[in-house]
Amino acid sequence: MITIGIDAGSATTKAVLVNGESNIIKSIRPTAFDFVSAADDACEDVLEMSGIDRKDVKHIYSTGYGRNSIKFADKSISEITAHTKGVHHLYPEVRGIIDIGGQDCKVISVTDGRVMDFIMNDKCAAGTGKFLEYTARALEVPIDRLGDVALSSENPAEITSMCTVFAESEVISLRAKGFSKEDIAAGLVRSIARRVAVMARQMGLQENVAFVGGVAKNTGIKAALEKELGISLYVLPEPQITGALGAALYAQEKHQ
Amino acid sequence: MHSFKTPDKIKNSYSSRICQIADERKKGKKVVGTFCLFVPDEIIFAAGADRVILCGGKNETIPIAEQYLPRNICPLVKSSFGSLVNDGSSDVKSCSHFSMVDMVIAENTCDSKKKMYELLGNYIPTYVIDLPQRPDSPEALKYFLSELEKFKSAMEELTGNRVTKDRLREEIKSSNETRKLLHSLYDMRKKDPAPINGTEILKLLQRQYFLSPGEFKEHIRNLIKEVEESEPEENHRPRILISGCPMSGGNSKVPEIIEDRGGMIVAEESCTGTRSFWDPVDEDKEPMLALAERYIKIPCSCMSPNDRRVDNNLELAEEFDVDGVVYYTLQFCHGYNIEKHKVQQALKKAGIPMLFIETDYSGSDVEQIKLRVDAFMEMLS
Ligand code: SF4
Ligand code: SF4
Repeated sequence: MITIGIDAGSATTKAVLVNGESNIIKSIRPTAFDFVSAADDACEDVLEMSGIDRKDVKHIYSTGYGRNSIKFADKSISEITAHTKGVHHLYPEVRGIIDIGGQDCKVISVTDGRVMDFIMNDKCAAGTGKFLEYTARALEVPIDRLGDVALSSENPAEITSMCTVFAESEVISLRAKGFSKEDIAAGLVRSIARRVAVMARQMGLQENVAFVGGVAKNTGIKAALEKELGISLYVLPEPQITGALGAALYAQEKHQ
Repeated sequence: MHSFKTPDKIKNSYSSRICQIADERKKGKKVVGTFCLFVPDEIIFAAGADRVILCGGKNETIPIAEQYLPRNICPLVKSSFGSLVNDGSSDVKSCSHFSMVDMVIAENTCDSKKKMYELLGNYIPTYVIDLPQRPDSPEALKYFLSELEKFKSAMEELTGNRVTKDRLREEIKSSNETRKLLHSLYDMRKKDPAPINGTEILKLLQRQYFLSPGEFKEHIRNLIKEVEESEPEENHRPRILISGCPMSGGNSKVPEIIEDRGGMIVAEESCTGTRSFWDPVDEDKEPMLALAERYIKIPCSCMSPNDRRVDNNLELAEEFDVDGVVYYTLQFCHGYNIEKHKVQQALKKAGIPMLFIETDYSGSDVEQIKLRVDAFMEMLS
């Protein structure tokens, strides 16, 4: 059976075509302002790459922020289920998932590829990519270097504020007090790690935990989170496509 | 899902009920406003007064309240206060019920409400019933009974009528009838699939404190008949118990999302739900004592310890054969938010999945809630 999963994210749209269990073709496109045409284009990409005709596709499932606007999809599923399926396929031992995205942070407890429980942070940017983005800006360090800069600190500064806006001003006042960029960066990374670790402990995550989402690429955050939790985290080789892959696999499963 | 006629009829009965109250008041009847289940209706009615509930469930009145109250208290308190003390500075209309009440009967429950009532006293006569905080202690019942006696005298003074034992007995009987009717309605929801949406039931319960008891009973009877005559639905949907803060009229966001995304609410462990009618009042006992005994048992999170609420969740989950519990709280409602932990532990032990949603009356988090509910439904199916 041939199925396609589309992950309509706010920044990028991903499509994955699954033929059987293992034959996987993928495409990633910027979403720009239009979920539907980005989804359509990504869908065309995978069809073209695989040389498969659209009418031979049995089911299209959508996920992601724009999942409900993709009207040509047969069904939409939540990112939580989709990522869990996708991660499980690539990393079958997975027992827990930490997903730090731009807008939110999710922690999922997994058994045999099924979601057992999950939590998400609330209406607030603390503990998300946005927190890092804003505070890194106040520190004048490019976001993708924040983790590395942090790794070279020996005395992390204490960032006490929970709120993104106040943390930003805390960074400015720490700079005024003469703290080094490295120490402040380390403080920021530690503060996000602490926050996420609280969620992970609430979920009881212990081993075989995968770290996904945009922030997972940041080695400094990964290291801080591992230290905080006392476990090592598994980062997938292709963290961006797990949602679309999971949606395609979910469709396979449902229509077996 | 079937659409039943009764819920629409109830909606339309609003204006006639307002006229009815206005007429009664002209003839000298007193009307009181309440905010909480701890205030026994039976005493109000036995004194020959009428009552409406004043809990706010709307977002629009919150900015008005924030001129007086801190931003970081629960939306229910802010919305209530805002609809009552609207100073005319915005186009938001004040709550029409407020102008109809002669007195507010308040109660010492959570901090936000207690303190809000103190301010409310500047606008309208406000009588506060004090509640013992440790309902299980031996002195609590005695104290609560004495508070109810005082409340009874206050009602007698307001209305000029004596509250006799016989009148109390009549009202207890009448309220018990309503409770029994609601139980039969809830028994129907134990079927799988349930024959009626939880959101419809919620809207009915939200109105129970506005309609007159007679009219309310009539509506439940009609609804029961309608449900009995309806064709059963085919597909199983995840059966949900919703547990937590009250969902006052105007606030049905979370239940609507749950049912919109494929769930079926079969019971509510809430003051707009089972807590309002589950236990009857003992008709064989001395009426004031029977009332005190029944009302002190309400497992509100302002009480401590409050294990009764944990047990209730487990019992309801079993009785209504639920697949999962949605624990719903309002932002800044510390009582219910903190109690989440205990309830969650107990449900976990019983193997019942739980989703926690904390929200307010705005629409800003609808997408996030949908995502969580979707994932929860997928988890349960
Ligand atoms: S939640 Fe507590 S304070 Fe609120 S109405 Fe119910 S019993 Fe009263
Ligand atoms: S108990 Fe909670 S929801 Fe109810 S009024 Fe108090 S703070 Fe608000």
